[in-house]
Amino acid sequence: MITTTFIKVNRVELRNISKSFGGIAALKNVTLEVIAGEIHALVGENGAGKSTLMKILSGACAKDNGQIFIDGNEVQIKNTYDSKKLGIGIIYQEFSLVPALSVAENIFLNQLGATSSWMNWAAMKKKAVELINNIGFSINPSLKVADLSIAEQQIVEIAKALSEHVRVLILDEPSAVLGPREIQKLFDTLNRLKKEGVTIIYISHHLSEVFRIADRISVLKDGTSVGHLPVAETSRDSIIRLMLGRPLNAMYPLRDPVIGVEALKVVDIHAAEKVKGVSFSVKEGEIIGLAGLVGSGRTETARAIFAADRSAGGTIILFGKELRLRSPQMAVSKGIGMEPEDRKQHGVILSLSVKQNISLSNFKGITDHFGFINAKKEKYNTAELIRRLDIKTENENHETGKLSGGNQQKVSLAKWLNRDCRVLIIDEPTRGVDVGAKVEIYNLINELSHKGVAIIVISSETTELMGICDRILVMRKGKIQGELTKEKYSEEDILRLSIGATLNTET
Amino acid sequence: MNIKIYPKRYIQFIIKYDTVFIFLVMLIVSALVSDVFFTATNLFNLIRQVTPVGIISMGMLLVILTGGIDLSVGSIVAMVGVLCSLFTQTMPLYLAITASLICGLLTGSISGYLVSVQKMAPFIATLALMSIIRGLGFIFSKGAPILVSENASSLTDFGSGNSLGIPNPSLILLLIFAITSILLKYNVFGRIIIAIGSNEEAVRLSGIKVNAFKFSVYAIAGFLSGVAGILTTARTAVGSPVMGSGMELDVIATVVIGGASLSGGKGSAINTLLGVLILGMIGNIMNLMNIPAYSQQVIKGLIIIFAVLLQRFQKNSN
Repeated sequence: MITTTFIKVNRVELRNISKSFGGIAALKNVTLEVIAGEIHALVGENGAGKSTLMKILSGACAKDNGQIFIDGNEVQIKNTYDSKKLGIGIIYQEFSLVPALSVAENIFLNQLGATSSWMNWAAMKKKAVELINNIGFSINPSLKVADLSIAEQQIVEIAKALSEHVRVLILDEPSAVLGPREIQKLFDTLNRLKKEGVTIIYISHHLSEVFRIADRISVLKDGTSVGHLPVAETSRDSIIRLMLGRPLNAMYPLRDPVIGVEALKVVDIHAAEKVKGVSFSVKEGEIIGLAGLVGSGRTETARAIFAADRSAGGTIILFGKELRLRSPQMAVSKGIGMEPEDRKQHGVILSLSVKQNISLSNFKGITDHFGFINAKKEKYNTAELIRRLDIKTENENHETGKLSGGNQQKVSLAKWLNRDCRVLIIDEPTRGVDVGAKVEIYNLINELSHKGVAIIVISSETTELMGICDRILVMRKGKIQGELTKEKYSEEDILRLSIGATLNTET
Repeated sequence: MNIKIYPKRYIQFIIKYDTVFIFLVMLIVSALVSDVFFTATNLFNLIRQVTPVGIISMGMLLVILTGGIDLSVGSIVAMVGVLCSLFTQTMPLYLAITASLICGLLTGSISGYLVSVQKMAPFIATLALMSIIRGLGFIFSKGAPILVSENASSLTDFGSGNSLGIPNPSLILLLIFAITSILLKYNVFGRIIIAIGSNEEAVRLSGIKVNAFKFSVYAIAGFLSGVAGILTTARTAVGSPVMGSGMELDVIATVVIGGASLSGGKGSAINTLLGVLILGMIGNIMNLMNIPAYSQQVIKGLIIIFAVLLQRFQKNSN
């Protein structure tokens, strides 16, 4: 199959790995071969199964089927301890550091008490400094992790993995939280580790990075492996086609916007350290996108408009009238809705039924003067929304937590359709949602805008914003860095704006 | 025999209706170990004894459904009881009762304010109130039991009397139970209370005044504690500052035995009422069997552990 396997050894080989969660297949016969000493990129859309595959390799998640080989020998990885013994280290998107402990303690957390119940502070700090210096950084080992920048925390994570003598280092979307300079430092570190013989699996959906750092690329799509290619022999376009399985534009509805009067205007929105003076406006029937890196203040801007955080402030003008919003309840009563970023934490209540979730946003149509719920009206109302959004559930009394991610997201959207909003903010509309449901959600957003709703979409998926929005505002460090109109959309420009680089198309 | 038995199905049935099951078992055990249990007098006494705890448990259920807890209820019983006795000496009866009820409501409102607006941990806020209110009860009464004025005989007559063979206070418990049950099942109030206990932030971001609802459950619990205090005073004709000591634990225990989750979002009025009866029966039957008071405490604790373990079994089997 692959000629290189005759020459080089596969450090890691995953053969026909399958895994399903509650009947939904996350991985279907996935095969992955990683050669010793290479940087191997694993790319794919959100929900393609990248993280699940790596969780199986690191023992955080059990496989249903398939085999794992390390250096040609089949191994059983049942838990994280097994993978550690095999020299596999993983750095997750969400760090697993203890914020209240020092850098040194965090690095050696897994080894504390292994040789002695007493702490040898001096030796521990010395070793921590050595490890961090080895990867080209210097961080005071006595500092608390909570006081470090995100980039420094990532370095601590890497040092922690190296302290356990890893031979295979997995990084799950490491660049999502980093600025360009920090990314460069990370890449230098990875290249140095590669020279020292560490094999690296790098998960990302930022193709520009992948092409900078990786030797070979494996592409996952909807839980299957669709390609294994050396970087030298491929192009970004062919990788994108593999990732999407279809041309980019087929996923998004045709936009034929009917733009009305200015619906919402915000001036000088600020929120603690996260948002520093954001102003923009959105018209009836318009869909605008808020792009930017994680931590650029997009979510905080949305929450500030919705009055979800007390510390936030700024002027909010709805249809020419300035509002003083002090709580989400006031925002909702004025016709502003917000679908929160974290669906499971804030969007829907998993333990309640679909019906109970949908009704929560609006009891007006289904209750009498004393707040007694008319069961018939409620059932009718909910069934109507379930039908309209094509929510796949047995009936309206089904527990929301038992639905798939896409259907949970639709329940969360249904809440706001149940209440006629004039402005709707949707934070990450399709995170963790499969492709089919994505298309349905895009259509729904489009349909809403046709009814005159002004819509603000926040998303980390640039292509998604380009596909559904009429305008895109790019945020960086709590400010709007730039605005792109539809005819000027380019993924590269959005990325450039979000990392603070100048646009090269401005000619 | 051709009849097939599906033990698994029976077990599942028992797990699903665990509170009912425990209740029935208690009933059978009680009938077996004592011939006095099923006499009218004993049942009458049992129901009368559990009434104050029962009334408060409905308020506590609401608090626990939101994910909170109220430790001040026992102290409110004492303070309101003392105040009610004092009021009867200086005011017309209807005013005395109204004023006492308002005192209960206000006390609960303080907890509600601290928890909802000031975001204090419910355990801490109500622990502080428990101490303050107990102290106030002693201050108002100067440490001695206060007799209900003889002019207020209609209150004491009501408290010690019965209608349709049921003690009057217990009728009030039934009324409060019915209202709670209906509110929880058919009213937006209940719907939102349960939602708050399941995920407060999601409810807030849905545009609901979470604080108002959280405030109200503590106010209601305070009010119902006041009702229980007045009824206890009415029955005994004395308002004593030591009434209701440790009662908060009994109330919480009944709600938990009734299957409510202390982390909120799960529980029902009928099961709480069964919890009240279960805990009452445990005490009652042990009294009938002349089990010493100290052993009773141990057994009571064990039964609470058993009840909660059974519920966890239910959770896991789902």
